Amino acid sequence: MRRELSLPLFWRVCLINGAVFALGTLVLVLSPATVSERTLWSEIVVLAIGLAVIFTLNGLLLRSILQPLDHLTGAMAAIDLRQPGRRLDETAAGPATPLVAGFNAMLERLEAESTTSTTRALHAQEAERQRIAQELHDEVGQSLTAVLLGLKQAVDAAPPEVAAELEQVRETTRTSLEEVRRISQRLRPGVLADLGLLNSLSSLASDLTARTAIPVTRGFLPGLPALAPEAELVVYRVAQEALTNVARHAHADNVELGLTRRGNILTLRVADDGVGGADATAGAGIQGMQERARMGGGRLQVRSRRGGGTEVLLDLPIDEATP
Amino acid sequence: MTVRILLADDHALVRGGLRRILDAEADLTVVAEAADGAEAVDLARATRPDLAILDISMPRMTGLQAAREITRRVPAVRTLMLSMHDNEQYFFSALQAGACGYVLKSVADEDLVAACRAAMRDESFLYAGVAGTLVRDFLDRMRRGERISRAVLTEREEEVVKLIAEGHTSRQIATQLVISHKTVDHHRANILTKLGMRDRTELTRYAIRAGLIEP
Repeated sequence: MRRELSLPLFWRVCLINGAVFALGTLVLVLSPATVSERTLWSEIVVLAIGLAVIFTLNGLLLRSILQPLDHLTGAMAAIDLRQPGRRLDETAAGPATPLVAGFNAMLERLEAESTTSTTRALHAQEAERQRIAQELHDEVGQSLTAVLLGLKQAVDAAPPEVAAELEQVRETTRTSLEEVRRISQRLRPGVLADLGLLNSLSSLASDLTARTAIPVTRGFLPGLPALAPEAELVVYRVAQEALTNVARHAHADNVELGLTRRGNILTLRVADDGVGGADATAGAGIQGMQERARMGGGRLQVRSRRGGGTEVLLDLPIDEATP
Repeated sequence: MTVRILLADDHALVRGGLRRILDAEADLTVVAEAADGAEAVDLARATRPDLAILDISMPRMTGLQAAREITRRVPAVRTLMLSMHDNEQYFFSALQAGACGYVLKSVADEDLVAACRAAMRDESFLYAGVAGTLVRDFLDRMRRGERISRAVLTEREEEVVKLIAEGHTSRQIATQLVISHKTVDHHRANILTKLGMRDRTELTRYAIRAGLIEP
């Protein structure tokens, strides 16, 4: 931080006012001007001119100090924590430099804190989802399976008039079991823990094709290093959200899903040939992806492709030391 | 000859239900029960059953890991995966791990017995969803004019192929065509053989080529 001329603002204003008054007093003392006992019109004019000069001089000097403050107010209003990294220019702030520096430092702290709390919230959310998914799957799902198997026995042994009714109960149980499985799958993709990242991404692609009949071209670079579970989850959730957006908004005929690596940067790319026009700042979906990317120390870009369509790029640093 | 079966599922109620269904069949009998994957591997080595039915998500060792172990240590034991996941990647991963069939829990009451018998014939049992995907893909490739040995299907089999492609279960197909469940299973097996999707090796090779799973 620069230390030159770091007088507090209050003293600067005092000094400027004092200097201007001193100047006025000096002029009065040194000039031959006098004020008669009964003030003459000509004297009033001179006094008024003197006063105007002092007023203007004072105004000009104070303006140089206070105008940067007005700029600062405007800039503060425009700051958006969702788009971090914006700072005010310290060099152009003039006398307001300490204030700008203080504001920038505060922004830094706020951004760090917001990232930490978002990360914590996302972690908590994932943990909670996992717990619910697990319980749905292990408890409710298994019990329903047991009921289904028991009903099969009952149907086989029952007299025909009861059997038809039992058959209906059995179909209802089957539907509920399917429902439980779907919910649990959506809450927490077990596929990630069981089959690894690439198979999970592949599974997302199959799901999209099954739901919307949009073909997905997969392009996974072989020999990718094993990632930390958190990083895998970031990649998976971003891909999931991006593909959901494609299904909802893009009206695409083709989607490309790729995972590649350049140096220590892993890149996930989801590109479609749909209508495009995604706004990187709007929408909870894109914001969610951005938060996830930040959580993994990465960067997310959403941009329109030339000739239509949208491209989502996630760059994530790979930490080789922790496989 | 009765088929000796090892049953592994961490949920006792489910195990009981499965056991009753299997024991009700004259040619199937459960000889051992395990509550987790590691126990399943131990029991498979100790009792040498003909068939091991493994739940895909079990504590201590998942069904996939257990299938891999059993295939490696006691290759004579055939394995069948039991799963909640209606998902191709799980299906193909199970085949990769050495399982010869994959039964969805939500249709286990209907498919399990047929799957056991298919496994004993060394055929892969495909559940309705994945059979649908595979057959659809096959029809697509045929339409695009890819050179595939155009299998000669009977008229009935053509009908069944259409319904499989639409994702219907065997039971739904049976109701629709007014034939028995057994006949549908018979048609299905014939069709998959003719389309070259009968056994584990063929299916796994196909899945890797189509980019559905990692080799």
